Amino acid sequence: MKIFITLVATLSISSFTYAADIKLQNPSINEKAPNFVAVDSYGKSIQLSDLKGSPVILEWTNHDCPYVARHYNENNMQSIQKMAHDAGVIWLSIISSTPGDQGHISPEKANTLTDSRGASPTHVLLDESGEVGMLYGAKTTPHMYMIDANGILRYKGAIDDIGRGMQFFNASFDKAINYVSSQMDQLIANQSLTINSTTAYGCSVKYNYD
Amino acid sequence: MLPPFLLQWFNIKGMKQIFLACSLFLSILGSSNPVETGHAKASLITNIQDSQQESFYVGVRLEMQEGWHTYWENPGDSGSPFEAKWNVAQGVIVENVEWPTPVTIPYPPLMTFGYEGDVVFPFKVFRAIDADLSSISVDFDFLICADICIPETASLTLDLSSATPNILLDEAIQNLPTEFIQTQSIVEDGNLKTTFKSSQPISSAYLFPRQDNLFTYTPTQELVNLGNNSYEITLPVLNDEAAFISGILSINGEGFQIEEELESASGMSLWQAILFALIGGLILNLMPCVFPVISLKVLSFVSMGGDDNSKIRNHALSFVGGVMSTFLSIATALIIIRSTGSMIGWGYQLQSPVVVGILTLIMLGIGLILLTNINFAAGLTTLGSSVQSRNDYSGSFFTGVLAVVVASPCTAPFMGAAIGYALLQPSFATLPIFLALGLGFAGPYLLLALKPEWISALPQPGAWMETLKQFFAFPMIATALWLMWVFMVQTSGDALILLLLLGLILGIAIWMIATFKGRWKWIGMLATLLAAVQVFNNLPENTIGMVADSSAEQWSLDIESDLQAQDQAYLINFTAAWCITCQTNEKTAFARDKVKEYLAEQNITYIKADWTNRNEEIAIGLARYERTGIPLYIFWKPGMLGSKILPAVLTEDLLIKAMQ
Repeated sequence: MKIFITLVATLSISSFTYAADIKLQNPSINEKAPNFVAVDSYGKSIQLSDLKGSPVILEWTNHDCPYVARHYNENNMQSIQKMAHDAGVIWLSIISSTPGDQGHISPEKANTLTDSRGASPTHVLLDESGEVGMLYGAKTTPHMYMIDANGILRYKGAIDDIGRGMQFFNASFDKAINYVSSQMDQLIANQSLTINSTTAYGCSVKYNYD
Repeated sequence: MLPPFLLQWFNIKGMKQIFLACSLFLSILGSSNPVETGHAKASLITNIQDSQQESFYVGVRLEMQEGWHTYWENPGDSGSPFEAKWNVAQGVIVENVEWPTPVTIPYPPLMTFGYEGDVVFPFKVFRAIDADLSSISVDFDFLICADICIPETASLTLDLSSATPNILLDEAIQNLPTEFIQTQSIVEDGNLKTTFKSSQPISSAYLFPRQDNLFTYTPTQELVNLGNNSYEITLPVLNDEAAFISGILSINGEGFQIEEELESASGMSLWQAILFALIGGLILNLMPCVFPVISLKVLSFVSMGGDDNSKIRNHALSFVGGVMSTFLSIATALIIIRSTGSMIGWGYQLQSPVVVGILTLIMLGIGLILLTNINFAAGLTTLGSSVQSRNDYSGSFFTGVLAVVVASPCTAPFMGAAIGYALLQPSFATLPIFLALGLGFAGPYLLLALKPEWISALPQPGAWMETLKQFFAFPMIATALWLMWVFMVQTSGDALILLLLLGLILGIAIWMIATFKGRWKWIGMLATLLAAVQVFNNLPENTIGMVADSSAEQWSLDIESDLQAQDQAYLINFTAAWCITCQTNEKTAFARDKVKEYLAEQNITYIKADWTNRNEEIAIGLARYERTGIPLYIFWKPGMLGSKILPAVLTEDLLIKAMQ
């Protein structure tokens, strides 16, 4: 009976919010990546179409999410960012947390975090409205997207093959197949990737749903 | 006293770590039950009644704080299912969790599936009777989320020798979604549409897909009342590769299991299936259960050498007619049975001991007739020499019927895939495939009808034929013996004795027909019939399966996903006592030492699914591979993207090669 009531309750709540027409898009692989404009932590407006000519990697992030935290605490994310930086790949860390929710931070805090963690994203984008996140169908932190120099979406999904499950918190990053770093050469060569779509895992992106 | 800002900072930043550290500390202390993990109270409970019980349940109970939830096996758009690492004594086995029906936990636009409040996760336990029950413990790692997510852990220990049964666990088991609900699903315009029946009025329904990355998890799923207690629920498809749907359908909060092949997802086209059916039908002639009957037919054609061509043609056509009309009847029967909603398959009729018993008597009868050389004229069947003496084509027709009837336990290569397609497709596709199968089976005789002069290429008729015909009695009797074994496996030793008695009466009846003249020589046959009706009407329920194979693991619906999750290679053998191709493979491949050694060496788990008796779950398992019949062999090892289907006819070398 209790399950029944919760089910009815959650269903009615959800149908109410559904009416507000918040919907995740699902961009297609090997097609043009959807264009967007967002403001970075230095107040600069960044438009995807202006970045054409360089490959772009999108990383959805939330520094308080335990999944993201582990990737940063063990220097895993930073080493991929460095690899991208050295190869001339633009790295955009995107925060889609709504104000007041976990992961939402001020531009200053974003810059402090970049410094203190030794991260090297090209830009940290503050997507408070969740517009960019929903345009790309970002569900989790981390959730990764790879776009080649011609603006074609080549990858969407998990950062590596550890996947869902509590094993994440014990698994070794060294033994995992990292879908981003292992396929960066293919991305730079503007090729279609061997693995181009996986299920992202992690915390949910904290969109504005209230 | 700390300054207020520091205190606040400490609160926000440090709370989680403190909780984690606390739970970690508690878990190091061990043997606690219950344990506060931070946002939940975890405890280990059981329903064991007395210390002699060989199977019972233990449950992990999570009492989550208000507003917090944990996840189902498919967590939805984010999150993670828990992980339970058991530590038990020798001789105790804890099975995988039996997932309770989840609820939707929406964070629009995201959707997650899980549990809120107070939930119990039941685990079935088997134990050897001498196994130590004094302590069973688990490391339970789970992700608990509100707006934010925190991994928490509980190390729980329970002394089963003194534990008292907890009613909450029994309630949880009672509410488990164990029952399967019949569904019909199609993928149409990017949506999965699943139709099901419910006699209750529906206030809420949600289909929770077990598979990842195939469907879009929407906050609500459109439900249409089709009338007549039928409903259609819709969920958007994310990935066109969806070949089957597996999940839980929650109706008014009550969960039902769903497993279904998706119709549009078949990898085979109708033409390909028809081609496979033709080839399979042709090869069916050579399968061990058909060969004796076919040989007799060939013999009767040999004896016709020198006869005029039109007679040979008519006999060949009668035989083809017999074959085709039998396949047509089978197809019609299958379509009718399927329309009632039952899962059916090739050879499924042999799951009925009555059919097996009747076939046994037919085989035995044919054997005796061949030995005693009596002439049944237009009766049951006309085998051999009498054919050419009369212009009686019904004999050829009935041989055709008989050939198909005895072929039913066999599946030739190619045939399994074709029949699987035929039975899972709409009815219009079923008939052509079965007709193609018949055409392939009757192909050689159809050729003979077209070119009767080819018969002269066969050896000249002579006395050798009579000897050979008598010899063919023995394969028939051997087939009867095998069927008797099947019958015994399905029923009991007592029932087998009754069947043997029927065989004796049949023997007497045939002897009477051969020896006496006049009408009353048929009395024996009448007596056989009456006795058979009596015996078959009072057969015990078939409950037991094949003799347990200690080297093989028991099959279950989730075994493949479980083993793949553990990176454990496996080989699955779908088999049945009545499937002679399976039994042949058993002897020529699976039972060989070389194969057993290879399996042990490579650490491949060997699993047997025994379909001797009706079993809906196995039928569903077969349907995943678009099959409705056996044999079916499935192999997977780490590194392979999906499992692969091995050939239907195996030798030890072939089997080992297929696994390399």
